[in-house]
Amino acid sequence: MISFSSLEFLFRFLPIFLAAYFVLPSKYRELVLLLGSIVFYTIGEPVFILLLIAATALNYLLAVQEWKVGEGFSLHEWQKQARKKYMISAVALDVLLLVMFKLLGTFVDNSLLPLGISFYIFKMISFQVDVYRKEISVKPEFRHVMLYFMMFPQVVSGPIMRYNEGEFDLDRTCSLEQFEEGLQYFVLGLGMKVLLADRLAILWNDLQMIGFQSISTPLAWMGAAGYSMQLYFDFWGYSLMSSGLLTMLGYNFIENFDHPYASKSIGEFYRRWHMSLGSWFRDYVYIPLGGSRCDKKRLVFNLALVWLLTGIWHGNGFNYLIWGIVLGILIILEKLFYGKYINKIPVLGHLYVLAVIPLTWVVFAITDLGQLGVYFGRLFPFLGGAGIAVNRQDFIRYAQNYGVFFLVGIALCIPAVFRFFEKHRKNPLVLLFLLVVFWCSVYFAASSAGNPFMYLNF
Amino acid sequence: MKYIKKCPLFFLLLGTGLLFSIIAIWGRGGIYSGQDYDPMKAPILSVMFTAMNDDIYPWQLLERESVEAGSDNVKVQEEAPAPENEEVQLAGGTPSPSPKATSTPIPSPTPSPEVEQTPLPRLEPLRESTYEEYINHVSADIYGDAGVIRAAEYEFTTVEEGYFDDALFIGDSRTVGLRDYTDIAEHADFYCETSLTIYKVMEENFKGKGTIEDALQNKDYGKIYIMVGINELGRGTTEDFMAKYTEVIDTLHELEPDAKIFIQGIMRVTGKKNSSDAIFNNSNINARNNAIATLADNQQIFYIDINEVVCDEEGNLNADYTFDQIHLLGKYNDLWKQFLLTHGA
Repeated sequence: MISFSSLEFLFRFLPIFLAAYFVLPSKYRELVLLLGSIVFYTIGEPVFILLLIAATALNYLLAVQEWKVGEGFSLHEWQKQARKKYMISAVALDVLLLVMFKLLGTFVDNSLLPLGISFYIFKMISFQVDVYRKEISVKPEFRHVMLYFMMFPQVVSGPIMRYNEGEFDLDRTCSLEQFEEGLQYFVLGLGMKVLLADRLAILWNDLQMIGFQSISTPLAWMGAAGYSMQLYFDFWGYSLMSSGLLTMLGYNFIENFDHPYASKSIGEFYRRWHMSLGSWFRDYVYIPLGGSRCDKKRLVFNLALVWLLTGIWHGNGFNYLIWGIVLGILIILEKLFYGKYINKIPVLGHLYVLAVIPLTWVVFAITDLGQLGVYFGRLFPFLGGAGIAVNRQDFIRYAQNYGVFFLVGIALCIPAVFRFFEKHRKNPLVLLFLLVVFWCSVYFAASSAGNPFMYLNF
Repeated sequence: MKYIKKCPLFFLLLGTGLLFSIIAIWGRGGIYSGQDYDPMKAPILSVMFTAMNDDIYPWQLLERESVEAGSDNVKVQEEAPAPENEEVQLAGGTPSPSPKATSTPIPSPTPSPEVEQTPLPRLEPLRESTYEEYINHVSADIYGDAGVIRAAEYEFTTVEEGYFDDALFIGDSRTVGLRDYTDIAEHADFYCETSLTIYKVMEENFKGKGTIEDALQNKDYGKIYIMVGINELGRGTTEDFMAKYTEVIDTLHELEPDAKIFIQGIMRVTGKKNSSDAIFNNSNINARNNAIATLADNQQIFYIDINEVVCDEEGNLNADYTFDQIHLLGKYNDLWKQFLLTHGA
């Protein structure tokens, strides 16, 4: 049920929740959202809900203590020290929790990794630092802090919204227009996830089924491109659903993706991909370390550290580490050497991004390093990846089967296409399109609900 | 009106949702009666969508004849096994709108006159599937291994690749792997499609290539290889599957009387899949293989089983040969090909 594209969520949880949220007097809205979020998370994680509640309470208590010490117009040195102590202990506690559960999940059992912990812990850290930096201007109340950490549209996979972006202390108005706008983003995100990402996922599954050693070089490249789009529409779709839901409830729309594949450098790509994570690393790791306003050696160190941490954050395989290191090296090289040349010739920049990013996603996708080597051998056969029992025509069949998903996907990677949709979103044709997208998504959700093998028919 | 103007998409979704629910409730006793539905997990309107997978569409509510055509589709899949057909249906909550099909084997095909040996007679099942087996989607082993043992007594010969020049291969995604990752397709014709079942095999159009009947009319085939059955697991009983399988084999034989028909046992799944899946496991596969093996007469119809070469000591598909626990990795389809080369008749 914790998947927004499941029938349980779409037709059981969401309608009941929305009815309660809007039918009850508006003073109960925060309570309804909080209770709904607890129910939502408990269904996904019946045990670790307690961890989430405990971590929330601890973070709140430490933040309030810090707030109390810091009250007053000008602060004495002891006050500053005490505030710092609270902030550091809270952040240390959060980091400890994350590291501990990541290690348990990696070395003991995957089920010991609580749902969404990477996301909510990052919210907690940002919250503590924001309180310390006095970026939060009104004293946080417990119900608001609970809402911020636990709200169901964000608790599983972000976006990592900042406390201030929630505007919890303001009176929330839920206009019909805003509800409609949020619903449109939700439906669009649902379509991206179910109709594009989940379909393209079958292609990647097929490549694994065949065995990388037996795929032709064109198919290997097609697989890399398909996986790049699958990941993009899966996560962008999820982010649109999440932010769409919050918009419906009267919160701000949190932008998490800004057409990354239209970037001209890897650095730019990651300012436009999973933006809430990128800006988190910028504000809470990179800039505190000195950012780019320091000597070259330090800059290299800062970037390397950020990307190493990004790699570790994404998963527990060795390949994620390689992925982070490769991106770090590319971004360092861009900053120090070729970035300025690429910037001058946009075509070159685009080609560079479109060629390199899919290769980095292949590293991201394949957890077995031996298999990763085989895949790169197929991508670049002249490097000595001969292949076994390769069918040279295979890509033709896959192009026929998946061509339409590639075409729609590529179109959606072009910023102008999406902006055109946003501009004309009140047009009856666009509404009709969204209606079809919704019911097509439900069709796939329904067909795979009774038969989990729908995706993978033999 | 103000609301509709401001939230058009919301009201469109609400309206269509209501409409689909009404359609689903209306068809519940008729065209949608064969659809599984759990009110805890899905809205009633989901049956309208799941039915589309069985080619049952909402507009068939309006056409009396189509209603029956629609029901025909479910018939083969949902048939109850036991003579207490009606009670089973009611208790199981999946009433089958169809008349009962017989599971008694159809008379054996006529032997070719030049063969001196008499063809093996078809075996009768030893028992019937029980109600428990039916509702739990367990494929009952109603034939035992007599058919398999009898079929294995035939002395197969080793053949050259040219043997496949007049061969036709029919199958699901596994046969797709054989086509794409061995060179048999340079000799033989392949009529295979992902998710093909015995129920669809004679109707399937193979992406515009035509039906199997067309293929048999356009060319004289000397051998027909068939492997289907994994997709049908969990659907119907061994009797239902066997009845349809028998019908298909007899039809193939009728259409191409001189062709040797090789029934290939369903390839098993790995131990990991076997122990974690209530439906796609090896005891279900073995039960159905035991059934179809009884069709072999060792003259025109043969039963061969590639599990001999792709399974480990425990009889599960060798985990090294597959990524997804079900299909051979591309390169291991060669094992299948080599097996076929040593099983000519």
